[in-house]
Order: sequence, then C-alpha cells, then structure tokens
Amino acid sequence: MQILTANELISGATVYFLADGGWGEDINSARVFSEKNIPEMEQAIERAQASGVLISVESETVRVEGSRVVATRLRERIRARGPTAPRHRRQKPDIHHAVEFTHVSL
Amino acid sequence: MYRYDQFDARFVAGRVAQFSDQIERRISGELSEDQFRPLRLMNGLYLQLHAYMLRVAVPYGTMNSAQLRKLAHIARTYDRGYGHFTTRQNIQFNWPRLDDVPQILSELAEVEMHAIQTSGNCIRNVTTDQFAGAAADEIIDPRPVAEIIRQWSSLHPEFTFLPRKFKIAITGAAHDRAAIKFHDIGLMARRNEAGEIGWTVHVGGGMGRTPMVARKLNSFVPHADLLAYLESILRVYNRYGRRDNKYKARIKILVREEGLASFREQVESEFSEVRGGVLSLPEDELNRIKTYFAPPEFKDSDARFDLAALKVSDPEFARFVVHNTHQHARPGYTSVTISLKPVGGVPGDATDTQMDIVADLVERFSFDELRVSHEQNLVLPHVAIGDVRSVYEALCAAGLGEANVGQITDMIVCPGLDYCALANARSIPVAQEISKRFGSAKRQEEIGDLKIKISGCINACGHHHGGHIGILGVEKRGTELYQITVGGDASENAAIGNILGRGITGEEVPDAIERLVEVYLGARSGADESFLNTLSRLGETPFREALYGND
Repeated sequence: MQILTANELISGATVYFLADGGWGEDINSARVFSEKNIPEMEQAIERAQASGVLISVESETVRVEGSRVVATRLRERIRARGPTAPRHRRQKPDIHHAVEFTHVSL
Repeated sequence: MYRYDQFDARFVAGRVAQFSDQIERRISGELSEDQFRPLRLMNGLYLQLHAYMLRVAVPYGTMNSAQLRKLAHIARTYDRGYGHFTTRQNIQFNWPRLDDVPQILSELAEVEMHAIQTSGNCIRNVTTDQFAGAAADEIIDPRPVAEIIRQWSSLHPEFTFLPRKFKIAITGAAHDRAAIKFHDIGLMARRNEAGEIGWTVHVGGGMGRTPMVARKLNSFVPHADLLAYLESILRVYNRYGRRDNKYKARIKILVREEGLASFREQVESEFSEVRGGVLSLPEDELNRIKTYFAPPEFKDSDARFDLAALKVSDPEFARFVVHNTHQHARPGYTSVTISLKPVGGVPGDATDTQMDIVADLVERFSFDELRVSHEQNLVLPHVAIGDVRSVYEALCAAGLGEANVGQITDMIVCPGLDYCALANARSIPVAQEISKRFGSAKRQEEIGDLKIKISGCINACGHHHGGHIGILGVEKRGTELYQITVGGDASENAAIGNILGRGITGEEVPDAIERLVEVYLGARSGADESFLNTLSRLGETPFREALYGND
C-alpha cells in the first residue's frame, strides 16, 4: 500500500494527498492506494507536479494499523512526526497555498 | 576583520535583488521547480525533510558582534530561535519559509553576510584554523590569504560549474586545527631555507564515500604565486574531473586515477602558462588586505593563570581554563573556546539568546571578533587573561560554560536523519546518549582528550573518517545501524579510521563506546598516552574483540 507525500512550496512543510482529493499535514488522513488504484495514484502525482505548489512529490510504502497510517521507512516516519531530537513541532503548511491547490487539484 | 568595499556591497546587494526576483517568480508560478532548484542551491537554500534550510556563509569562520546579533535576530524572527554551526564554519537555519528568504538575505547584507556559494559545484567557504591570528604556534595569520582566495573564488567565471563541489582549507600553524588534509586543497604555511613564508599545497583529500588523505603536490609556493597555482589546479580538475559520475567527480578521484606525478605535471604545465600574469599577487595588495586583519590594540600584560592555585580554590573554573583556553601569541591574553556541546544537548546548536549573549562578550572582551571552529564551537580569539573569569561566569549563566573542549563529549555531529534529506540514520540522538553516558567531569578527565565524530550517512558531513572513534549511520532493511571506526585523525598526521566490524543498533552504541574506552584506559601506558598511540601500539584486535568478542 502506498501514499503520496510532498513538500508545500512556501513553507517546505511535509504534506500528504488526502482521501478528499486535497493535501494536508496528517499522515493518518492520507489516501492509501492499493495495487489496483495505482493508475489513480499516478494521475494524482501528475496533477501535483503540474500544480507548481508542491515539490518533491513521492509515493511511499505504508501499512495501516487501525486508524493509523504508518510509513515503512524510518525517514518517512520522521517526516510525518518531525525531528526526534530535539522534539520540534512540524512545519505548518502555508494555508493559502493549500487552499489554492485544493481548487487546482479538484 | 575584512570589511566590504563598494564592489563587494554592490555585488551582494545585486545578488539579493536577483534571487528575490527569482523567488517571486517561483511563487507566482513563472518558474518551475526544475528551473528554480539550481537557482536556490546557488544561494544556499536547500529543501530538507521538514522545511527549507538556509546555509549562511561565515568566511573562514570570522564574525563580529553585529553579525552574530543579526544571526540571532534571524533565528528569532524567521526561524525557530536557534541556528546550527557547521563543519565549514558556516551557520544553517532549519526552518525558514521561502517567502521570508528575500528579507533574510536583505538583512544579512546589512551586516556584510550572504549565502552565496554555500552550495553547488563551486568553490565553497574557505575554512581555517579557529585560532588564526591569535595562536602562539602559528608562523603567519592565514586570514589575509583566505580572504584573497575568497575574492578570487567568488563567482569565478571558470569555476562556477565545476565537476563537483570544491573545498579549500588553510592553516598558518604547523599543528593543523583545520583538517586541511581532508580537503580538495589543503594549504599549510611554511618557511623555506631563505626564511620566506609560503605555502605547502596538498591536493585530493576528502571524506565521503571514498575517503582520502590529501597528498603533497608542492612543498613551497610563494605568496605571489599562490592564486596562479590554485588556478592551475582548478583548471586541470575542471578539464579532466569526471562529470559523468557524481560519485567519482571529486578531485581526489582524478588525482588517484591520474597518479600524483602526472597530475602534478599537468598542473605545472598550466602554472608555467599563468605564472607571472594577472593572478600574481602584488606585495602591496597583500599588505592592503593584511591591514583588515591587523592585531587589535593589546595592552601590555604579564597576567597568567595560576592553575595550581585555581585547582584548589576554584576547580570548575580551573577545568574550563585547562580545556577551553588556548595559548595566545600575545602575553597576558588567551583564546577562549565556547563549547556548543552541552551534555545531552544538540552539538553545534546555539539559541538566539545565546548568540546575543556571546555577541555581548565578543564586543566587551574580544575586540569585537568571534570565530566559528570546524569542530562546531565558537571562539573568542583575544581575551585578556584577567577577563576570563567574567567570560566564564557569563557563559555558565547562558548554559554555555561546558568545559569539555577536545574531550569525549565534544563531538562533531551532522544533523542526520532528523533533518537531512540525504541521511540514512540519525546522528543527534546517538550523540546525546554518548554525551549523557560520559558527561561527568570526572569521567572525562580520566579519559583525557578523545575525538568522536558521527555521520548519518556515507557523505561524512560529521567527519567520522577523521574521528579517533568514528560512528557512521547506515540503513539496513529499514533499521538504523551504526558502524564503528577507530584510528581516524584530522590533524597534521591525518589518517582514515578503520571499520571494526558489523553495524550495531543505536541503543548499543553508548555501551560499545564504553567498551572501547575501557580497553584504552586499561591498556594505556599512562595518562599521557593518547587513544591513537595506544591503538597504534596494540593494533585494532583488542578493540574489535571488545565489541564483537572473538567471532
């Protein structure tokens, strides 16, 4: 199973492609693509890359544990939670861009 | 220190305007990320795991109080209240927003700072001895030459798109505190038989996935010819360096594959063409630059530390004096190292408040001069011995009074997987656990000087190859593992550490270091036998067995 992740242009913050077609910061709300949804995921990647407001768009392997979406790679778990030491909160995505992009993507 | 002339100021202001326009066009969508990425990298702006990272140049690690206060202001206003000092004597901010970068650069330019050439395949910030112009053991202050190299290499039309990044280090002392032999070019001052001072040129050193100790290319290049000689080396590298494979693109690979003799022959051939031309450095120009680095107005003093008395009356301060001061060329003065390695803290980080406090100390006690060391500490280069107690008290109050310089908790550590997009494993938590394990003053005194260096990937930003004990983070099937090396040395006796065996988990690292230290303490001939000398005498076997048993 895979999710899509990127960095938002203005803040550089980690964001995820959500089930509602927008992008947000909570990995647990990320849309999880199964093998049969790969074509849809590829379309979402193309739209994200064309948006101009998302960079480093990548797919990541995950597993679903109840209501949690857990990335397989430690790198991605750190991206999802922020630095482990010292514990800093994650970067907040730029709201204007997020809204703008939601319109673009839909 | 060097002050911008009109050309410098115009050049930096022009670059700020240019990059600000590029950012605006990126945000408006006029520029794509593919178009923008090389532009932002040329201006020190990276995209890391969680945010952008802006790397600001601190030429040869020298700053004044106004510059440090500006960095504190930027940390407070545009970042998260701290900055991270690096092994290239620069500073990195980990959380800037793209739309704040024009204002950050604009404010940096107000104090003659910028982020130009802190990234990309160009000549990076020239690094030097943090005690340059102050150390009792140097034969020449290398900073004027470092400044001349900075001017020559800034936007050099031939060398803006080299096969790969290029790093130069320079030292004016025979004891190398700048790790020059782990640089693409390492310059060490020396006197020739006639008593003239010139430069021994080493080439092809570096860390990364293919670590190499630089080899001596020329034992004496006079001042006047140095730029022409450097230009000759860069031209040969620019022409023949591998552009087809980024892992083989550094000059060290060219020197190795070409052979030193052949490489030297080509450099000499080029040098014969350019020597005596426009790159000759006239004595009066060197002297003009030297005036910027004239010694401050020291007062006559015969003040000394009475260490024997201090050890009885004020043992903690005595410990600070022993470890955090360095002998100054001028009687009555010393250089004070401010450790950015608090026990259990993040190596190399300083908060905005700490930067402001240090700026005050720089202004009051060190003739408005500050240095950044490649070992990620700060240095007040010229402190009157009678003022050191006041400096110490102020540092303690600011959480900067750690008396551990050169000791096991004074580690070089890269940001690792907590921040870096290239890393495979975390470095900071490993360093913190080691620091806590060995944090007691008594334990550190017992061990003596010992350098641990930690990198979160094979790119070796944490200089693990040069650590007496080196720690390299790798990733294997989704797990962080750490390889331990011993025997690295970044001094004039440069050596690359050897891997002792298979990787171990992060949780196992403090115990592993403890076992290596116990082997050393149990086997050394006395407290004055260093870890490296004990290792050299015994060989690696007892250290390997301490980690892995006899398997």
